Amino acid sequence: MGTIDLKQLLESQTLERCPFPIPVGWYFIDYADTLKAGEMRNVFVFDQEWVLFRTESGKPGMTDPYCPHLGAHLGHGGKVCGEHIRCPFHHWEYDTEGWCKNIPYAKLMPPIAKKQAILRALPMVEKYGMMWAWYHPQCEPPSFELPYIPELEDATGYTGSRRGSWTADTCIQEIAENGPDVAHLKFLHGAPIIPPVQTTYEGPVMKLDIGQGYIQGTSYGPGLNVMRFNQHGITATMISYSVPISKEKTQMNMSFRHVDYAEGTPELAASKKVIDHMIGAAEGEESAGFESVDFIVWNNKKYRPNPLLCDGDGPVLQFRKWFKQFYPGYENSTKI
Amino acid sequence: MAVVRVIGRDGSKQDLDVANGGQLMDALRDASTGVQGTCGGMMSCGTCHVYVDPSWADRLPPKSEDESAMLEAIGELVELKPTSRLSCQIAVDDDIEGLCVEIAPPV
Repeated sequence: MGTIDLKQLLESQTLERCPFPIPVGWYFIDYADTLKAGEMRNVFVFDQEWVLFRTESGKPGMTDPYCPHLGAHLGHGGKVCGEHIRCPFHHWEYDTEGWCKNIPYAKLMPPIAKKQAILRALPMVEKYGMMWAWYHPQCEPPSFELPYIPELEDATGYTGSRRGSWTADTCIQEIAENGPDVAHLKFLHGAPIIPPVQTTYEGPVMKLDIGQGYIQGTSYGPGLNVMRFNQHGITATMISYSVPISKEKTQMNMSFRHVDYAEGTPELAASKKVIDHMIGAAEGEESAGFESVDFIVWNNKKYRPNPLLCDGDGPVLQFRKWFKQFYPGYENSTKI
Repeated sequence: MAVVRVIGRDGSKQDLDVANGGQLMDALRDASTGVQGTCGGMMSCGTCHVYVDPSWADRLPPKSEDESAMLEAIGELVELKPTSRLSCQIAVDDDIEGLCVEIAPPV
């Protein structure tokens, strides 16, 4: 008998549920049609409150709530004025990039306001009928673009209005790690086998092939994942766009789309069945979709930075290495 | 402690005893010279503009980029001189004994 490896036995005492900062990336904020020109509202994402607004010409903006002047909350009493958001307190105005455009009573614009944005504003794009914001902890500009997704952007070829939204009490990395963790598909979901998995990593993009083409997923940073399920002779697509609410809470959003097959065709029936199967338990399927089994694990687990993996496990560590690029400043952290 | 000679906007002269440790702006504001120092030293308001006596121009630490930017903005409203400074950027210590400044017109 050698001495006991106490680190192995006691490490759990120092583990955290979610030791990660909010990762860099593009994130879904809301559907574009929920915000009309001239409207504003407060939203809570990325571990803080933001003011989301749309200018009169239709441009979305998302800023820190607190006016750089004397700290009034722009989202309580402020309003959209033309292309700007105006603070209720002294009517200082800011554009969607956070530049101060008007101080109605000052003879001189403070020099810093001529040099740079003085209110933190997140870069935004509208795509797929959604508003997306770029989050970077040091306010750096976007380092990649959102991809073309035919299932959402080709108006004639695809259909499907099914959407879902779930809240998970964990961080976005822990949710995404279930992709490369193929062994859990057999034991938690009840799949007949542990499917083979292949992953490729290129910059912010990770490609995942589970079961030799059975499921093909592509992640574009932490906030967008397109998974195509090739089953029963058809392809159905799950577009997943999760957003970190806080360091320990994630809003998971999904759209389900398929080829616009004619009513009554077996292809349409197969497409709908595959989509049922993605979410929960579908009739005649052995394994369970994420809704019925994953949350109990996500909502209660702790993150082990030094997991004890065995043969047969998927490429969890390669996934973690890829994901680390979204935590600038944490390159040498031992907690993640 | 330093004694600073101040020329007011009306041409009057006074010698101010200023304590070490703060910025000249605070002493000028508290002595009711017309200096306001609204922004407290952030170089964003331009209300503490002074003309430094030319004999002192090279004896003060040089202007930062931000101070120059604020002075440039002030120039749209009042006369700038080569020795224009923001008094919030002049630290008070024994080295400024005998400094002479003129309060510039209000913005």
